[in-house]
Amino acid sequence: MSTLSIGLLYGASTLLVMFAGMPIAFALGAVATIFMIAFMPSSSVDTITQNVYEEMASITLLSIPLFILKGAAIGRSRAGQDLYGALHAWLHRIPGGLGIANVFACALFAAMAGSSPATCSAIGSAGIPQMRKHGYSGGFAAGIIAAGGTLGILLPPSITMILYAVAAEQSLGRLFLAAIGPALLLVALFTAYAMWRFRWEFQQAKAAYEKSGTHSEILRVDDLSMRERFALLPRVLPFVVLLTGVMIALYGGFATPSETAGLGAVLALALIAIIYSVWTPRDLDPILVSTLRESTMLMLIIGMSLLYSYVMSYLHISQSTAEWIVSLHLSPWVLLITILFMVVVLGFFLPPVSIILMTAPIILPPLRAANFDLIWFGVIMTIVMEMGLIHPPVGLNIFVINNIAPDIPLRDVMWGVLPFVWLMIVGVVILCLAPGIATWFPDQIMGPVQAK
Amino acid sequence: MAHGLDSVGTEFEVVSKKEDTAGFERFMAPVNSVVTIISSIGLVVASFVLTYSVASRYFFHFSTDWQDEFSVFLIVGAVFMSAAAVQARRGHVAIEAISAIMPPRANRIRLFLVDVATLVFCVYFSWKSWILLHEAIVEGYRTGSTWQPPLWIPYSLMTCGMVLLSIQLILQVATQIYRWSKPA
Repeated sequence: MSTLSIGLLYGASTLLVMFAGMPIAFALGAVATIFMIAFMPSSSVDTITQNVYEEMASITLLSIPLFILKGAAIGRSRAGQDLYGALHAWLHRIPGGLGIANVFACALFAAMAGSSPATCSAIGSAGIPQMRKHGYSGGFAAGIIAAGGTLGILLPPSITMILYAVAAEQSLGRLFLAAIGPALLLVALFTAYAMWRFRWEFQQAKAAYEKSGTHSEILRVDDLSMRERFALLPRVLPFVVLLTGVMIALYGGFATPSETAGLGAVLALALIAIIYSVWTPRDLDPILVSTLRESTMLMLIIGMSLLYSYVMSYLHISQSTAEWIVSLHLSPWVLLITILFMVVVLGFFLPPVSIILMTAPIILPPLRAANFDLIWFGVIMTIVMEMGLIHPPVGLNIFVINNIAPDIPLRDVMWGVLPFVWLMIVGVVILCLAPGIATWFPDQIMGPVQAK
Repeated sequence: MAHGLDSVGTEFEVVSKKEDTAGFERFMAPVNSVVTIISSIGLVVASFVLTYSVASRYFFHFSTDWQDEFSVFLIVGAVFMSAAAVQARRGHVAIEAISAIMPPRANRIRLFLVDVATLVFCVYFSWKSWILLHEAIVEGYRTGSTWQPPLWIPYSLMTCGMVLLSIQLILQVATQIYRWSKPA
């Protein structure tokens, strides 16, 4: 059989098995195994389990459960509410300050928790009711939280980035740093939109008030004294310490990224024990159980995705596809747009982890040939996958929000989220025009990339 | 719809209905809870080992040779061993887009076939893991690092986890057959 027909068969059977509803991990493993038995020498079939083990037994990949543990520890504590409360106290005087406080809280929380849905539910469960109480429309409030939550897979320590670093053989430290500029860009875009939208809703409410006398909560201005503001600060400080401590350990050269994961988890557990007295086995049980469940689910998908791409490359499917793409001589930007479009479509069905591991061997060689910076591309690809998290009708964050704020109709949530999808597209375009936003920071801290 | 990265704190858990499962799956429940506790402890220990690694290198300038591998064993072990517990709650994500458009009866058949296919794969994988484990014990395989721990340790955790997962799947498949055979 030719590589082309094997490749088509491989892709088709994967789609079939996955859409039949087989768990993603086992679907990938089963398809890979069947093709190994059919097309590969029996000696390699015998080492299938060794293969999976060796691919997985990398401390970089295995730091993922520890990052999840850190995120779960923070996510299950009251840290989200406290962080949000303090930011609100400091920002409430600015028009749309409450919305902005939510965006900031999401970004900071995401940087500590490293997970998008966890951020949505931790900040959203406090933020959405507050925003609605202050007269924000349901869709707007939901949109802010859904979009803010996606920063979780962009800001370090993003699990998506860890996998990209492994798949693309790029420096994880550099990739983490490269994400910071673009994350701030997105925060700025979200903030600007929140201010604009607040003004609009404010004007509408004001007009309605002047016309018919219906009072809207959005018109009420509340005031917190300086004393109240400072009283809230100590509750946030420990987490800022955690965040900076971990960053210093990583970039000061004291710890490898995986050691940082362990350190972060220990610090997070210590902090919630000291501040929120969460330390008894009964308190810790839900944190540990949810960490374990998520890690197992994710790591099995990762392990089987790696086996899947191993088979794909052994049978020359990925190389041939990559060569074929290169031979099309597309202009770099057409190539980029096509690939990103494909990532968006895959994002409707697959979690980011599988998208990265399955597509990296195919899409990275053509991108390298077209002289794209792979660190920069990693950031772009992550933002595009973030869009997949909030893009109606299938974005995961939409359903997280629906879960924590069931009184907002799903329709409103979807409409509220849409402007943020556009803002992300704007963000991607800005990054394409000014790649320095991503590459400048790591170059400053770690020096320019060594020529390879 | 694909469920994405995770559900920490969001809990999309389907509350397990009080169904007549003929008690098949009850056999695994205590095993799963014990495994979950041990695996959780494993993860926490791995975090402390890595933290110790940073601290000992910084304060005492110890070279770190065993910490990474030790953590790898702990985490790999935790992941494979708890695979069955996750399967018990149907926690391995799947694309469920098709279930919305299929009639309930066809859907049940689909889920049954999916479980059988998963079971076949897991049994095959368990068998291959066992062969690997056996080889590692007989030949005395060790890792290539300076610490050189024997490889039967992680291999046995992997094998054990996959066997537990297969048993879990057998029970789930058996439950479905039992429900069909019983007149409603």
